[in-house]
Amino acid sequence: MASHKLEESIRNLRFTPFITLFWKEIRRFMKVSVQTVVTPAINSALYLIIFGVSLGASIDTGYDTPYLAFLISGLVMMGCLNNSFQNTASSIVSGKFSGDLEDLKVVPLGYQQIIWAMSLGGITRGLMVSSVNLLVGQLFYYSYYKEFFDIQSPGLLIFFLVVGSLVYAKLGIFVAFLAKSFDQMSAVSAFILQPLSFLGGGFFSLNNLSPFWQKISMYNPVLYFINGVRQATLGASDVSVRSAVVVSLISLVLSHMLVLFILKKSQFKRW
Amino acid sequence: MVTLERPSHGEISVCGHNLLGGSEVKLAKAELGYVPQEVINHGYFSTREILQFYSGYLGLLNNNKRIDYLLERLALYEHRDKKVKQLSGGMKRRLMIAKALVHSPKVLLLDEPTAGVDIELRSSLWEFVKELRAEGTTVLLTTHYLEEAEELCDRIGVIDHGRLLKLGQTSQLISDMTFRRMLITLKDQPRSIKTESPHLKSIDGKELVLEFSSHLSVGQIIDDIGVDLNNVLDLQLREGSLEDAFIRILDQDGKEV
Repeated sequence: MASHKLEESIRNLRFTPFITLFWKEIRRFMKVSVQTVVTPAINSALYLIIFGVSLGASIDTGYDTPYLAFLISGLVMMGCLNNSFQNTASSIVSGKFSGDLEDLKVVPLGYQQIIWAMSLGGITRGLMVSSVNLLVGQLFYYSYYKEFFDIQSPGLLIFFLVVGSLVYAKLGIFVAFLAKSFDQMSAVSAFILQPLSFLGGGFFSLNNLSPFWQKISMYNPVLYFINGVRQATLGASDVSVRSAVVVSLISLVLSHMLVLFILKKSQFKRW
Repeated sequence: MVTLERPSHGEISVCGHNLLGGSEVKLAKAELGYVPQEVINHGYFSTREILQFYSGYLGLLNNNKRIDYLLERLALYEHRDKKVKQLSGGMKRRLMIAKALVHSPKVLLLDEPTAGVDIELRSSLWEFVKELRAEGTTVLLTTHYLEEAEELCDRIGVIDHGRLLKLGQTSQLISDMTFRRMLITLKDQPRSIKTESPHLKSIDGKELVLEFSSHLSVGQIIDDIGVDLNNVLDLQLREGSLEDAFIRILDQDGKEV
């Protein structure tokens, strides 16, 4: 039997490994799309029912728009951030557990290729979830107000969604490479990232906080991501667009440096 | 060689490409196929998908002919849609080999591929390795089974605690590092034996035990100790094995240290 040697195929070491890893990341979360895409949409729907519809009337954010619209923009960004993080983190953690993380070190993939391919996989999931959340939100809004709410600046919305999800996707890579066990992974997620995410203004405005907590919140980068999206959707936010853009870009650079550092240090070994 | 461990010193090049740094790392890695000792579980993906992804990692997007060939050759074709956890131990091991060969590497690194493997699978694995070798693939095998190394390898390196103690042609290494052992049974009690010969290890009545370098012939030794050939009833000769050479190399190293 002929052994079908390489000459029959055209080899591309520059782009094909990168595209393959990116495609694998997408295939991985699409294999369990109920868990990765549908469940976040249901969670968002529950938040919208509980906070948006039931309690929304009694919450005053100081914005001209209804609380439901305020909440939708927060949920869109939070869903995007959480799912971008989950995608890269769970991919690496499961790779450490099963051993297939070793493959990435053995094959001709550079560190930058690994970072960007996995991050783009995270962005894809983050954007899918945020799109579903936006759609669910619009349906809720329509059922309540008999009209869809306008998105003030679609370009700005895409910018903040992409940059925010990139930052969180890279943080997912960083934390997962750093973790030595499932426990450590959960601890970072539960004690650092989730509080940052929930206290980032998704459910409330800075106007609802005391001056002390307002100051503390200004150090939370998630506040800028969420308010960037809020500015893009509602045309108003707790922070200026310029500061939201600057903080987002600084976070992006820092997260990239962190993840590059950890990848160069790591041996990609299984647990 | 697969860069999972950071080297303390030295250099590695694969087919002339530096593996440890610079612009040629990817080219070097692309020439390597690696079969790890432990089976990798790829979670959600089927056998065929695993090979397609791995092929892509190595720069080959449309490589289905080679993948089908390997699936058939390694008796995995009918299991191509199964996930790793649904495969038997032997199938998992064969999948690891298919992965390593998906890009027709020039160098195949086998890390103890037969550890804990049943006799039948071990035998078929070695047949396949021999075929690859015949096709021109350089196979680098790490193993604790010395009889396998002796049978399969053209060259052998002995590594202890990360240090390469000896490297050479298999036959040369054995011949250099082992003794031939000869048991001579005589018809009558020996009379004119040179008991001072360094090759004579023991005399027990009519039985003589001799040990000598592989470079010396049986005739030379018999002459040397003065055995009358007409008095020889039986003669048994045992050649040195790789295991003997291995133990001697480690012993020598221990004494040097």
